[in-house]
Amino acid sequence: MREIFQYVPGTSLIHRLNPMTKLLLTLLICVAAFLTGNLFVLLGLLLVNLLIGFCAGIARRTLGVFKGLMKIAVFLFLLQVLLTRKGTPVFWIITDEGLYTSAAVVLRLIVVCMPLTLMLAVTRVSDLANAMVQVAHIPYKYAFTITTALRFIPQFLEEMSDIMEAQTARGVAFDKAKGLKKLGMMLPLCAPLLISSVRNTEHTAVAAEVRGFHLRTARSGFRHYPFHGIDVLTLLAGAALIALSAVI
Amino acid sequence: MIRLENVSFSYANLGPTVRDLSFHIRKGEFVAILGANGAGKTTTMKLIDGLIRPTSGKVTVNGADTRETPVSQRARQVGFLFQNPDRQICRNTVREEILFGLQTVRGEEGEEALKQRVDAVLEDFHFTGDEEPFSLSRGQRQRVALASILAVEPEVLILDEPTTGLDYLECCHIMDRIRRMNEEKMVTILMVCHDMEVVLDYARRALVMAGGELLGDGDVRTLFRDTALMERASILPPQMIALGTRLGIAEADTPETMAEAILSRRGGGSA
Amino acid sequence: MISFESLSFTYQGGNVPALKDICLTVPDGGFLGVIGPAGAGKTTLARAVSGIVPHAYRGDFYGSVKVHDMDTVDTPLTDLSRCVGMVFQDVDSQIISTMVEDELLYGLENFGVPHAEIPERLDFALDRVGIPELRERAISSLSGGQRQKVAIASVIALRPRVLVLDEPTGELDPVSSRQIFSLLKSLQRDFGTTVIVVEQKIMLLCEFADSLAVMKDGALAYQGQTREVLTHAEELLDLGVNCPRVTRLSRHLSDRLGKPLPVCVNLEEAEKQARELMA
Repeated sequence: MREIFQYVPGTSLIHRLNPMTKLLLTLLICVAAFLTGNLFVLLGLLLVNLLIGFCAGIARRTLGVFKGLMKIAVFLFLLQVLLTRKGTPVFWIITDEGLYTSAAVVLRLIVVCMPLTLMLAVTRVSDLANAMVQVAHIPYKYAFTITTALRFIPQFLEEMSDIMEAQTARGVAFDKAKGLKKLGMMLPLCAPLLISSVRNTEHTAVAAEVRGFHLRTARSGFRHYPFHGIDVLTLLAGAALIALSAVI
Repeated sequence: MIRLENVSFSYANLGPTVRDLSFHIRKGEFVAILGANGAGKTTTMKLIDGLIRPTSGKVTVNGADTRETPVSQRARQVGFLFQNPDRQICRNTVREEILFGLQTVRGEEGEEALKQRVDAVLEDFHFTGDEEPFSLSRGQRQRVALASILAVEPEVLILDEPTTGLDYLECCHIMDRIRRMNEEKMVTILMVCHDMEVVLDYARRALVMAGGELLGDGDVRTLFRDTALMERASILPPQMIALGTRLGIAEADTPETMAEAILSRRGGGSA
Repeated sequence: MISFESLSFTYQGGNVPALKDICLTVPDGGFLGVIGPAGAGKTTLARAVSGIVPHAYRGDFYGSVKVHDMDTVDTPLTDLSRCVGMVFQDVDSQIISTMVEDELLYGLENFGVPHAEIPERLDFALDRVGIPELRERAISSLSGGQRQKVAIASVIALRPRVLVLDEPTGELDPVSSRQIFSLLKSLQRDFGTTVIVVEQKIMLLCEFADSLAVMKDGALAYQGQTREVLTHAEELLDLGVNCPRVTRLSRHLSDRLGKPLPVCVNLEEAEKQARELMA
């Protein structure tokens, strides 16, 4: 759980793409997923996602994310199928249209969520921020907010698991509780954690300021992010996905 | 009381963090685990409390295998004081905090009995009970955390760097209180501590670890005087022991006794 | 030179002053250790040198602090930061990036260090702190001690003229702590860096610091050469500051002999003293 947003170092073709290319491709896949209602196109997009993951050498992470999303998807699918009344019944209260649209909805959910986590697995957050500033000329303030938020997630999860460990050790039965009950036990612990997290972001802001936050410009970055032929090809492929999903 | 038999542990996709540990700790002992950062000390303590389970080998506390009982059930027997008290404190006043720990573990004793326990602990630690933990100093918060663990009266107390971030007086308060538990109530103490002077003053037995392995197990002073062992484990022995080693004085370990030893050797021992 | 002239400071919303009438000077290239019980104002003192007090943490500020002729109140924080590097007490909240190398790059990029010089600065900082192997690692995969070293390296890389560290060894074992202090000493020696370090480990301060400032309740209780301050061992203990055992040893020896002996601050001196007595 902790590693879900963590960068996986590598030198694959995907890793070496321009961070902006990766970000744009992510957006293109998401848009494509929203443009189409066709199950086969969605399955195709899912396949593209898995393929990217495998090419980047992060097959295990990709499958892990996929499995995690499947759990939510199955739940949503059942809910949706049971609630849809339109179409011809095929079995009990389940209709053919219910099956079809529910499958499309959950597939779309998976196809939209996957590329985001995959992108963060193959892109350093700071590269992403730097490229946004250098290439897309987004003000550094906004890029900083994004990186801080992304950095905050693993830190929050880590603290949460440390707190749960400490509470388990003093007899709070986290190790025996499951599901909603566990969630109920976690909530009271969240408040102090959130307060301390907010205090921590204040400290982070001061720490950034004394290391020249206000001096940073688009030209400060040590690394540069030129576009190569492969970036253009990738983006063309992304555009093709959009076209395909819009047409079919 | 605590027994480890050929215990190894590795985190998923990392190499082993501890390898083939075997030792036995009896009731009422005061044991320090020594070693550099990353030697496997914290892992060892978590194995004993069952917060993590051995990849191979067996850990038993009072004869019960840690793999077979949930950690939360062990809280009545084993208290764990973490390095960071803020992980543990989750209530708005010191009284509620102490009561919370008691309710989860000794809830069956009834309101009145628990209230008495809380009052006794508050008095013992000189808290009024109405303090807000998060407005206290770090040392005070560490004392709140310790108080709420001691209120439960565990048989074993595990301490992960209990003195880190504390000033000298706060450190003395905490450690003296722990020593009293050990001497008066025969509570078994197991502690990781980076301050070797504190280890020398309080612990009687030491386990020396490096690279996840147990390199030495025995009397604190004997181990500190083993120069080769200290070197291998990257431990700087306490000043008086180090000085004694340099001067060839093995009977002294405090400034007082060392002064005595030095003066008795004046002029080739004729004074 | 850094000079405090009757500095008093009360945090906004606070009802007791965090600092009371502090007068203190640290010469260029000096090494000052700050010690005292919890809540004595050590962190506020460190913040006042770097200008974070009063720029980022506001409050009632009386008196003045001058760092290399810059008055910390009149000089913008960013300008002060070019001169003063600060390592904070809380390890996690001062880290900005997700990767070790990026964390070191952050300040270097911002302060406009020429890009040609950056690789050398990175190697320098990582080697001196002793973590070259962590360069490509994700910060979330590091232990507390390793993170602390990253935080120190990211400030060392900037080569500030003044280095302020607030309990920089809290998460480190004794060997690593000594290593950090040796590093600070070498920066002082090789580059004339002025070092101000808040630290609870009195043994390290005695070995490495040229002068000590002992704080209590926001005021300076003692200040001066390390050795001189240590002659007040008894009074220090009342304030809640311990002395190294070798210092206590030389006190016992001189009490027993009934004549004053020089105060020892480290093992070497104690060994020499003992050998002279035993000869």
